Amino acid sequence: MDRRQFVKASAVTGASASLAACGNPEDQFIRFISDEILPAGLAVSRRSICPLCPAGCGVEVRVMEGDIDVVRDGVAGVVKTGLAKKLEGLPAHPVNQGKLCVRGQAAIQVTYHPDRIRGPLQRTGERGSGQFEPVSWDEAIGELSSRLGALAESGGQNGLRMITRPLRSQRGFLIREFLERFGAPPAVTFDIFGDEVLRDANFQSFGVRQLPTFDIASSRYLLSFGADILGTWNSPVSQNIGYGDMRQGRPGLRGKFVQVEPRMSQTGANADQWVPARPGTEGFLALGLARAIMAAGTRAPADAGRAGALIEGWSDGLDAYTAEEVETVTGVPSRTVEQLAREFAENLPAIAVIAGAPLAHTNGMFNALAVNALNALVGSVGAGRGVGFTPQPEGLEPVQRGERTIEQLANEILESPAGAAPPVQVLLVNDTNPVFGAPPAMRVADALSGVGYIVSFGSFLDETGNLADLILPDHSFLESLVDHVPESGGGRAMASAAQRAMRPLHDTRDMADVLLEVARSLDFDEPLEWETYEDLVQTRFDTLSPPEGFDSAWIAAQFGGFWVDQSPSSPQPDPPAADIVPRAYSAPQFDGSADEFRFHFLPYVSQSFLDGSLAHLPWLQELPDVVTTAMWSSWVEINPRTAEELGVVEGDLVEVRSAHGVIQAPALIFPGIAPDVLAMPLGQGHRNFTRYASGRGANPIEVLAPMRESETGELAWAATRVNIARIEGEGGLITLAGALREDEELSR
Amino acid sequence: MAKWGMAVDLDRCTGCEACVTACHAENNIPTVGPEEADKGRTMHWLRIERYWEGDFPDVQLKFRPVLCQHCDNAPCEPVCPTYASYHTDEGLNAQVYNRCIGTRYCANACSYNVRVFNFFNPEWEKPLDLQLNPDVSVREVGVMEKCTFCVQRINDAKIDAKANNEDGLIVDGALQSACAQSCTAKALVFGDLEDPDSEVSRLSGSARGSKLLGELGTGPAVTYLQKESWYESGDR
Repeated sequence: MDRRQFVKASAVTGASASLAACGNPEDQFIRFISDEILPAGLAVSRRSICPLCPAGCGVEVRVMEGDIDVVRDGVAGVVKTGLAKKLEGLPAHPVNQGKLCVRGQAAIQVTYHPDRIRGPLQRTGERGSGQFEPVSWDEAIGELSSRLGALAESGGQNGLRMITRPLRSQRGFLIREFLERFGAPPAVTFDIFGDEVLRDANFQSFGVRQLPTFDIASSRYLLSFGADILGTWNSPVSQNIGYGDMRQGRPGLRGKFVQVEPRMSQTGANADQWVPARPGTEGFLALGLARAIMAAGTRAPADAGRAGALIEGWSDGLDAYTAEEVETVTGVPSRTVEQLAREFAENLPAIAVIAGAPLAHTNGMFNALAVNALNALVGSVGAGRGVGFTPQPEGLEPVQRGERTIEQLANEILESPAGAAPPVQVLLVNDTNPVFGAPPAMRVADALSGVGYIVSFGSFLDETGNLADLILPDHSFLESLVDHVPESGGGRAMASAAQRAMRPLHDTRDMADVLLEVARSLDFDEPLEWETYEDLVQTRFDTLSPPEGFDSAWIAAQFGGFWVDQSPSSPQPDPPAADIVPRAYSAPQFDGSADEFRFHFLPYVSQSFLDGSLAHLPWLQELPDVVTTAMWSSWVEINPRTAEELGVVEGDLVEVRSAHGVIQAPALIFPGIAPDVLAMPLGQGHRNFTRYASGRGANPIEVLAPMRESETGELAWAATRVNIARIEGEGGLITLAGALREDEELSR
Repeated sequence: MAKWGMAVDLDRCTGCEACVTACHAENNIPTVGPEEADKGRTMHWLRIERYWEGDFPDVQLKFRPVLCQHCDNAPCEPVCPTYASYHTDEGLNAQVYNRCIGTRYCANACSYNVRVFNFFNPEWEKPLDLQLNPDVSVREVGVMEKCTFCVQRINDAKIDAKANNEDGLIVDGALQSACAQSCTAKALVFGDLEDPDSEVSRLSGSARGSKLLGELGTGPAVTYLQKESWYESGDR
């Protein structure tokens, strides 16, 4: 090729290359006019609320400008916009005071996750095949509206149902109004490891159906029965702040912390004294302490008031709960019982806390009432004391959860006669994953296959979303208006609100606005009076009294990120007038005989993934669990002596079998667990939940028996017995400690 | 001139790990995936070590956050053939990424196992790349990296103080490393050790204070405050 030919050829290929580029968005570089103009290279600060757990921590979002890839009118290019870069705790927020937990720090990955659903989808393959195709929002909303319209026309309003995670925002209020005005039953809330037993117990003991707020910072004694107060439970950031100050915030005074649990949790590791009691006997131990305190004469039975009267034998000083009897029942030495009782009564203010596994036994309610009575006995309950209840803002109270449970819904669907129209024609699913989170014995997946039409608002394809017929992806929390009423963590009534911190990255829509649009098309007899969700939140906030210097609570909330009730706090409501029925201790019942199934099985809420809803975030997958240093895996914790007896060494693949299921996971030798207990974190074992979590590890929920707390009917998730056996195969345990050289040499 | 240091109160630390993820988010630290994690190639600049003591039921578990100790006599510095690891005037063990040729001598010399190596180019599967902090360089394959005490925040705070404070000095507490800012129990305190009134100076002088492997003579800028035990009176 001579020079002339070369120039000719390259001109032609050059031209055709640039022509081809027009059809190939990858090769174009078109800069659209900026979506948002921010000072170059400088950060601006916006507010939000962390949505990952019910605590509702205030968030400060660091936003900087950046380029995102977009396709507009079929033309690909980039556009400048404001992007969230880092989340911090909001300094002035009453709950988290500028701090943020490990999960909140990783929450930014929810927005930028590569597997987020980027626009509405409609199922194409068989249900559950995971095959979807994109549809437009108009088509998607039209489809939902016409299905609901047909239901309404035929008088089948009862055929619309909704499942949601428990909501503490006004979205919960909107859902209630939407369903009510449509004529459908209230939404079913699903939260398998929820705290309903404790709320019920607090209602019985103190007249408040709420989780408590603890003044840990001012306490001298903290006695926790299984509560993961420094990890995942209730309002963990606010509790950690209080804990730090209880230890080192008061010169010359350091509070004592005692944790009662059969498996040492991250919280338990911080205790001065760790007391492994037999599972399900925590209430008995609490009453043993109460008896010793009353017997010593420091406190009289009447001091506990109503909370004490709920316990049989209380007014007579609980004769049945001698230290020796406590030792027989709980396995805690009698001298420890006496020591704890003495310290608890003498180091006031003293706080007793109960949560988690002790409430997930057949006698969970009794355990909770016993601890409530112990608190009341030493005068720790009430405003300004160790155990209080955050007042709820009048007019903004979160919707109480519906009467019906997911299991009842599943049964209704499964028990409908064959051939008849399915009782649930349209099911809306908001931000919850019962197919993963409910024990297989509840048959949720089977039930969903009998639902006419499933609509999910999920941002990710998870086990439940995979069964949907239509997916209407919600914004991430950073992309939408957020609001929240904390249940606990502060001394005054408050509500948080924040405008979106950034524009939506994808073609998503706020679930609340979608509901409002659908409602408009349905022509309710009593239409929803709000144009947008923002209208609704503003209207609701405007009923609150504005703080000084503000025209309305809504403006105050947007200015500062939250509104706080400045009025003097109203007294706690009186306890319910209902008859007091004293409860007697009943031994916890377990599924499976002790002969056949040697071990108590203790699933626990994961530091990284909570109930599994966060297993899709890569930072949390690679976060070494603090107690075990494990990453990217599931594991079964075994006492070293038990492991030796079974011939199991760390990393061996084991099979955990209950009467209801079997799972496989690697063994992890765990010094802080009772020899007859096996523990496993929740969160892994997703079949279908993004590239980071799918097919990884095992889900301990799959072996749980459908045992019930006897009074409330809640799932007794700690009441399953299991067996364990070593099996052939790769364990696949990954730990940070295992990778450190020194540890490796030691283990050889 | 400032000398940056940290105090870690082990009596406050609860092992909540907020610091670990906060560090990832601030410093563009990638994940490596399960296969590489199994080989010990995770990139954590900060980890919580945990120590078991005793047997059931008298068992104890203790946590210790371990990060670069920013030693005065840092073993990592003199071994670097390209001066990529060097000591700044303000006491930081700095790492110049574009000088680093990946000999990994520094990681071998480090007594605290806090240096991590980029065995691969980091992967930020789109659009995860949008979360990257523009104030911090993204490191490439073959480069050693480590805790910087959030040097980008130090530089920001200096500019801010020069512009806004009469004496041009950074006010104690106005500057926090990402880990200390998130630390829920306020166990991590970052600041200037040259300022005798700073919180970090006060805590570093505590009777409970000690240096990690201090006997090696590395002269760490991080002081660990011992966990206390409870006496029945509750008072000390």
